[in-house]
Amino acid sequence: MKHAILSCTGLDKPEGSLAREVAIRAAEAAGGEIICPVLLNRAPARYRKTLSECALVIVDGCSTRCASRLAGALDAQVARKVSISDAAKTLRMPFEPTLRPGTGGMALAQAVADQLVRDLNAPAVAAEPPSVWEAPVEFLVVTHDKFEFRIPLVDYLFNENDCWVRVSGGAARVGISDYMQQRLTDISFFNPPQPGAVIEQFGEVGTLESAKAVFEIVSPVSGTVVAVNAAAADNSALINEDPYGAGWLVEIKPASLEQDAALLVDGAAYAEIVKRKAAEE
Amino acid sequence: MADVTFMGVPREKIPWFPTIDYAKCTFCMECDAFCPHHVFERRESDPRLLVANPNNCVVFCRACAKTCGPDALLFPDKPAIIALIKRVREEAK
Repeated sequence: MKHAILSCTGLDKPEGSLAREVAIRAAEAAGGEIICPVLLNRAPARYRKTLSECALVIVDGCSTRCASRLAGALDAQVARKVSISDAAKTLRMPFEPTLRPGTGGMALAQAVADQLVRDLNAPAVAAEPPSVWEAPVEFLVVTHDKFEFRIPLVDYLFNENDCWVRVSGGAARVGISDYMQQRLTDISFFNPPQPGAVIEQFGEVGTLESAKAVFEIVSPVSGTVVAVNAAAADNSALINEDPYGAGWLVEIKPASLEQDAALLVDGAAYAEIVKRKAAEE
Repeated sequence: MADVTFMGVPREKIPWFPTIDYAKCTFCMECDAFCPHHVFERRESDPRLLVANPNNCVVFCRACAKTCGPDALLFPDKPAIIALIKRVREEAK
């Protein structure tokens, strides 16, 4: 599949110039069409064909995430994304605070583009079919105005940050609640954690993005990430459609389940939290 | 909000809320527009954005910082807050 690269153009910020550099380098090295965010915003029909035929790659400049938000507003599925400000922190490559990229900025742009091209050219890894977990059958339904929030009654424990955990056979599956998927609206991107990452309880196990927000997935349990839901990463609509089942996010080998569970609540108690949150909105 | 708790701990005992680095803040107000809990406030008497309702902030939520282009919002160290919550829960037993 061809790539369509939508980048920040940020003429007024150093990150914008670097995002543009990354987009050009990635388009040259991996092949692909660059999408102008201004024209996309002004006349989306211009890119309708491109977006339907290509895998969308996002290059954000800073945390304002203009390119991501644009993709989210168009309901476009994002295949890959990078952010200049995040990459500068992760790679520990500071850049000059100037609109014209300096040597540090150019080195960062090259490093980000190289990594992106490697990712885009990497052969797809055949994911192991996930083990089959029975879907929850009994739900509590919290209603607020026209909204209905479903909460499974058994097997699921929740933290107050709207993430659930379900344990089966030594593995703990983590996801977000129906309430949170409705709060986020259409999720456009699931940025999963690295398998093998060691997570503290309430630590971050990836992020979810929608046009509305970037949501930090707060792990209900401590342990080691053993798997991520590749299907949800490829098609984040699954998380909206079935947050307690096919839209699970991460599988963790729990480190201290009993201790962690003391800080979690069951479905009935979580329903009370959802009622309170919905009333406060 | 006096009776609001987080993990069984009174909210006001948990110092989790953003701090604005005014040297970086560009007053774009993205965070204020985003936060549904009205943590931030603009006042006519003060040109700066203020963290007016810190206890409205959802403990462990850092979503406003993730919308902040100039990276001007700081949050406390999460493990330290978790340790504090555990300590308060133990004391309450």
